[in-house]
Amino acid sequence: MDNENEFTGADILLKALKDQEVDTIFGYPGGAVLPIYDAIFGQNFLKHVLVRQEAGAVHAAEGYARSSGKVGVLLVTSGPGVTNVVTGLTDALMDSIPIVCISGQVPSHLIGTDAFQECDTTGITRPCTKHNYLVKDVSKLSETIHEAFKIASSGRPGPVLIDIPKDVQFAKSKYIPKKDISFREHRIKAGSKNVDKNFVQELVNHIKKSERPIFYVGGGCLNSGPQASQELIKLVNKTNIPITTTLHGLGCFPGEDKSSLGMLGMHGNYEANLAMNKCDLMINVGARFDDRVTGRLDAFSPDSVKFHIDIDQSSINKNVKVDFHTNTDITMTLKEINSFIESNNIELEKKDYTNWWGQINDWRKKECLHYEQGEEIIKPQHAISRLYDLTTQKDTFITTEVGQHQMWAAQYYKFSKPNRWITSGGLGTMGFGMPAAVGAQMANPDSLVIDIAGEASFLMNIQEIATAVQYKLPIKIFILNNEYMGMVRQWQELLHGSRYSESYVDALPDFKKLAESFNAVGVRAKNISELDDAINEMVSIDRPVIADIWVDKKENCFPMIPSGAAHHEMLLSKYDKENPENQEKGKVLV
Amino acid sequence: MSSTSVYPTPINAFKQSKRSVLSVIVDNEPGILARIVGLFSGRGYNIEALNVTVVDIKNNLSRITIETLGEEKVISQIIAQLEKLVPVHSATNLANLSESYEAEICLVKIEFDNNEQDQKILNFADIYRSRTVQKRQNIVVYEISGTSERINKFLDDLNTIGGIKVELVRSGPIGLGI
Repeated sequence: MDNENEFTGADILLKALKDQEVDTIFGYPGGAVLPIYDAIFGQNFLKHVLVRQEAGAVHAAEGYARSSGKVGVLLVTSGPGVTNVVTGLTDALMDSIPIVCISGQVPSHLIGTDAFQECDTTGITRPCTKHNYLVKDVSKLSETIHEAFKIASSGRPGPVLIDIPKDVQFAKSKYIPKKDISFREHRIKAGSKNVDKNFVQELVNHIKKSERPIFYVGGGCLNSGPQASQELIKLVNKTNIPITTTLHGLGCFPGEDKSSLGMLGMHGNYEANLAMNKCDLMINVGARFDDRVTGRLDAFSPDSVKFHIDIDQSSINKNVKVDFHTNTDITMTLKEINSFIESNNIELEKKDYTNWWGQINDWRKKECLHYEQGEEIIKPQHAISRLYDLTTQKDTFITTEVGQHQMWAAQYYKFSKPNRWITSGGLGTMGFGMPAAVGAQMANPDSLVIDIAGEASFLMNIQEIATAVQYKLPIKIFILNNEYMGMVRQWQELLHGSRYSESYVDALPDFKKLAESFNAVGVRAKNISELDDAINEMVSIDRPVIADIWVDKKENCFPMIPSGAAHHEMLLSKYDKENPENQEKGKVLV
Repeated sequence: MSSTSVYPTPINAFKQSKRSVLSVIVDNEPGILARIVGLFSGRGYNIEALNVTVVDIKNNLSRITIETLGEEKVISQIIAQLEKLVPVHSATNLANLSESYEAEICLVKIEFDNNEQDQKILNFADIYRSRTVQKRQNIVVYEISGTSERINKFLDDLNTIGGIKVELVRSGPIGLGI
């Protein structure tokens, strides 16, 4: 019954992607997705980026999504193709990144027979996706794809996987366009539609009464869209309330603004953590009270009234009990707070919070991010500071791997706009940054995209440098090379008597030659006199560059709240001694 | 574990681990039970009993009843996590409703040796108004329904009879708000 209104499953997928305005897909072919690759061959709206391993595809899709605000899409084959993306899906779930993963599956009649490259894809990915599907009937395919995009991008965003058996890719059906699909509301989980007026009023009343308020802003603010950041800036300016952000909140508020206390948490600023500890009013905007932020829970901000805006109901009262909460979109809520203050001509009498700011400025005098740069060896903090100074005038996106370099990047690189900072926070995935840079550069072809990396993380997905070269993506990999898994080494030094078990990265490649062998460019700085030149050269070359920056091998990341300690028990430098009781308790934590 | 707040938290609300019966309405689709069971095991919650059946063929809905143990804080988190699952329409803690009804069904097979035992069994069966499903010379099968507590009591009483062999199956509680 060939009908011109009927299309193969593979063609339906492509039509749906076009309908969803997808123009870039990251993927790797294989037996169970060949019909889809055949359909990709015969079209030109969709740019396929061939990665070198599927893990690269999923992190690239994450980088694409984070830097563009759109849904990132990837395509992988059955079996090992899809098991290779499990880490990235989990990463996207933890960090609320909207991605849609299309995976091929063995033909329906072979499912359950342990066929070649068969695995229980929906079973394996169920706990690491927001939702997943196995499409057994081609007539359901259009609807499934459109629902997948809707779910990935609505409410608290996340990864969605669609597993399509090979026979379904060949089978024919009608295509149902996006506009003809009516979504069932209970499946979309978009949060409440109306702003809770009571919440807004209570919040404004508390702001009026408060002596020591603080904004605590997380990645939810980013996910709510750029307007959320605008409303936040407006509100902070109006109230003169200090603001601290989580790792993912960086950029939602300009990092160099006088109201910004910078990042809080384990490696956050002293003033930010002390302010959280001593505040009397905490306004949580899209943050989830992660253990890296709260430190020891029973000593977390003991004297504050806590307000929490989060679209995800399950984030409320999960780790920390709050007094007032709302499950509405952050943009909507902040807008309502701003207009409530304006329309009621509310005079924020204690607007100056003079005493509070006085105390904060005293804490600032500790200069918790101070470091001593000597004459010869490059301090990693200094490398990031110089990178910032020399790129701040450009339109820059920063991705990172995971470890010390990531924390130094968060501390010393300042972000003035949202979506410019792309890092693996929740899952802490080494190997994330380089493929994420590939994705970010695909979404922003004219911008400067830099992966701030450690040499150990970089080696985890090093194959993707070939992807960058193939697609002429001029990403920069800025390696703070200390020949150690630095964060592991730091914990071993602080908690395990300096027994550096397996944290030295022996037999490292020559990164300059490595770059050249991939037809990328390698630059190197061995000491302080070469640093600026290396950065300038890296930035000026319009090709992928690996910059191998040799840094102090023994430098530790401070300030630090050791695991099991509280905000006010921060270590500021290696000379600070930790309470031994905390140390024993902290050892068993992560 | 909850952080302190300037607002007083009722002491009992967050400390005591208690039994809760959750009623969950879901789209009846492949994998839904695995999603729910996986959520419980993945996040370290308990399932004491579980019951699933389609209850609305037209709208393709199933009702899942889960008996679980946990502090009130944990139960609230379980409900919030359940409601995040795409096919879940609603998750309700029956204890939070002003009125709800709970029931369970149990089939008990009892093997006995002598008349004295038979009389005692008959007596308990009568007190608890259990229905005889099958009776042979030295085997009787009863069906008893009601709250889980009532069934527990019946089984406790049976266990006071020496020398009999009991085998049973229970549906786990089901419940409905009224």
